[in-house]
Amino acid sequence: MPNVSVKVLLFATFRKKYGSKELIIECDGTIKGLINSVSNVLGREFYDDVYDEKRGMVRDDLIFAINGRNIKDLKGNIGLKDGDVVAIFPPLAGGLSPHTL
Amino acid sequence: MPGGYMGKILRVDLSTGALRTEPILEEVARKYLGGKGYAVYILYNYLREYEFKGISPPDINPLGPENVLIFATGPGTGIPGFPCSGRYHVMALRSPLTGSIGSANSGGEWGPFLKFSGYDMIVIEGASEEPVYLSIVNGVAELRSAGDLWGKNVFDTCRILSRRVGGKNTSVACIGPAGENLVRMACIVNDEHRAAGRTGLGAVMGSKKLKAIVVSGDEKVPVANPDEFREVSRRCLETMRKNRVTGEGLPTYGTSILINVINTAGGLPYKNWQTGVNPYADKISGETLAETYLTGRRACWGCTIGCGRVTSVPSGPFQIIGTEGPEYESIWALGGSTGVKDLDAIVKANHYCDEFGMDPISLGSTIAAAMELYERGYIPKEDLQGLDLRFGNSTALVEAVWRTAYRVGFGKYLALGSKKLCEIYGHPEISMSVKGLEMPAYDPRAMKGIGLEYATANRGGCHVTGYTVSVEILGIPEKIDPLTPEGKAKWAKLFQDFACVVNSTVNCLFSTFALGVKDYADLLSAVTGWSLSEDEILRIGERIYNLERVIINRLGFDGKDDTLPRRLLEEPMPEGPAKGHIVELERMKEEYYRLRGWVNGIPTAEKLKELEIEL
Ligand code: SF4
Repeated sequence: MPNVSVKVLLFATFRKKYGSKELIIECDGTIKGLINSVSNVLGREFYDDVYDEKRGMVRDDLIFAINGRNIKDLKGNIGLKDGDVVAIFPPLAGGLSPHTL
Repeated sequence: MPGGYMGKILRVDLSTGALRTEPILEEVARKYLGGKGYAVYILYNYLREYEFKGISPPDINPLGPENVLIFATGPGTGIPGFPCSGRYHVMALRSPLTGSIGSANSGGEWGPFLKFSGYDMIVIEGASEEPVYLSIVNGVAELRSAGDLWGKNVFDTCRILSRRVGGKNTSVACIGPAGENLVRMACIVNDEHRAAGRTGLGAVMGSKKLKAIVVSGDEKVPVANPDEFREVSRRCLETMRKNRVTGEGLPTYGTSILINVINTAGGLPYKNWQTGVNPYADKISGETLAETYLTGRRACWGCTIGCGRVTSVPSGPFQIIGTEGPEYESIWALGGSTGVKDLDAIVKANHYCDEFGMDPISLGSTIAAAMELYERGYIPKEDLQGLDLRFGNSTALVEAVWRTAYRVGFGKYLALGSKKLCEIYGHPEISMSVKGLEMPAYDPRAMKGIGLEYATANRGGCHVTGYTVSVEILGIPEKIDPLTPEGKAKWAKLFQDFACVVNSTVNCLFSTFALGVKDYADLLSAVTGWSLSEDEILRIGERIYNLERVIINRLGFDGKDDTLPRRLLEEPMPEGPAKGHIVELERMKEEYYRLRGWVNGIPTAEKLKELEIEL
């Protein structure tokens, strides 16, 4: 597994809840791996807050961006590189809201 | 009369002092609802009458007695249980800032209290020779002298008039010195801190010597089907409570939660839109505001969201105890766009905007444009008369605000808005405006749809005319890639039409983060007693947007004006996730016009017929 170093930025209520707004995290370069590595620092709850275990992907109702690009807009295999910046916003800043316009 | 309406329009002729009451016409209400829609219908009729008298619409002076100003509520306003129904809409035939139609919306309590006073709308024409204020108490309207109020700021005017008129449910909408001084971005402020902010409608009031409108009363708004309404209202309020944006995000952080969200996407304009990445965004973010100056929150009448911020800067040069705001847009315009990173200075500048009655978006953007002009050497230092307008200078920012309100020194140029200012100094391309209205806090190079929206918005550079940011960034109701121009036309149109429905209902756009067209159809059906389908609701919205477009066409605006500042079309974004991007406007516009049934920004005769718009 490659070892990559990623900057993780937390926003809004995540900051209060986890007492942190910026972390440098070493991980295996996958998104799930990154979330796991952050959970090792911040606790298991973080994993549940961000990852949808059932669907095997980042929770649909939050904004998870790599270098400013929401992963929902990225195509193909999404991996992380050394020096990437990951921004995570809890659902209260947007995310999916299941109603039709 | 259908439910939801008080059934009365107050007509005021300030030139003669005549007041008369007219009924709300059901056939008009059925086609245009109320609020913005009904006001657009009335404005169109004025325009037609002027044309009939031989007055060409482009000759209408926005600051002349011939301009018409309308304060309008809709069938949803002021009904307990109707989501976020504490708002009202203001329109004018022409904006003194843009020359296009004037349009703005405000919260607080004034809208509902107008209805409790017995009226749905007030239509004001003419101009008074002496300062006056209009008072409406339980159906009795009077014009009174405002000689002692002229020159007073917004807070004093609101407090004095509330006391003077007294009574239950009393609210004051007024102008401050900026409106009196005909500052082009002057706004109308009610309840001290809520403003019909955009397009300079405060200057229209100022030109008519109308200092304030006080409303008061305890009439109830009728509801056609109370049982049905109770059921729909319960469902909608529950949806809003459970929704993470309306139930938690906006209550906790207010709108400024967006500072970090939009900056992350590389679309938070910095230093007059020279880039979309603000290195100091976190210092002026909603998170930082919550940790520093936030002391409480305040909701508009009947609103369960309560996004308003109550703040204080306890010490230092920008000390201010007990103010409200700033909102996302104000923080960005007064801070991000000017490069100011001191949140205390932004809070103070925003406070002054409320006190003197100015739109912080247009004012901050105009100051930012002046800063760029100055830094590029286009404004000679002596013109500034000691105002050191360099990007990031927080003292100069705060100073510029009051100088503008009183048109002191360089303030007399700032008071004209960015378009005129940049023209005077020979560089119109520096004004980041559309149709003369300064654009708000989203750089369309990082979210293409909002660029199409700004370009085609009838009132000019405006985000709330059709908030495509919702799909491009927030993912509501679905997520689409902000960096592609594909598929944006459909959303721009849909949001524009739906926003017309909301602004004609009149309730708050923020409810639409949780509620959709069906919810509106159900709410409005229960209130009015009409049975409105989703299709019909959107058709009403589309009709309003098209009639408003017809008005701006007559005022001289067409496809050539549906454009963006050159910077966004030609200068690639220099950094961030949108690096290298420009706005592919023509492509999106072509599709948009096709969907709209417009040619060169003008609705076709077939389109108007299809929408049952009779010209
Ligand atoms: S959401 Fe905010 S602006 Fe809208 S009605 Fe409620 S408090 Fe007012």
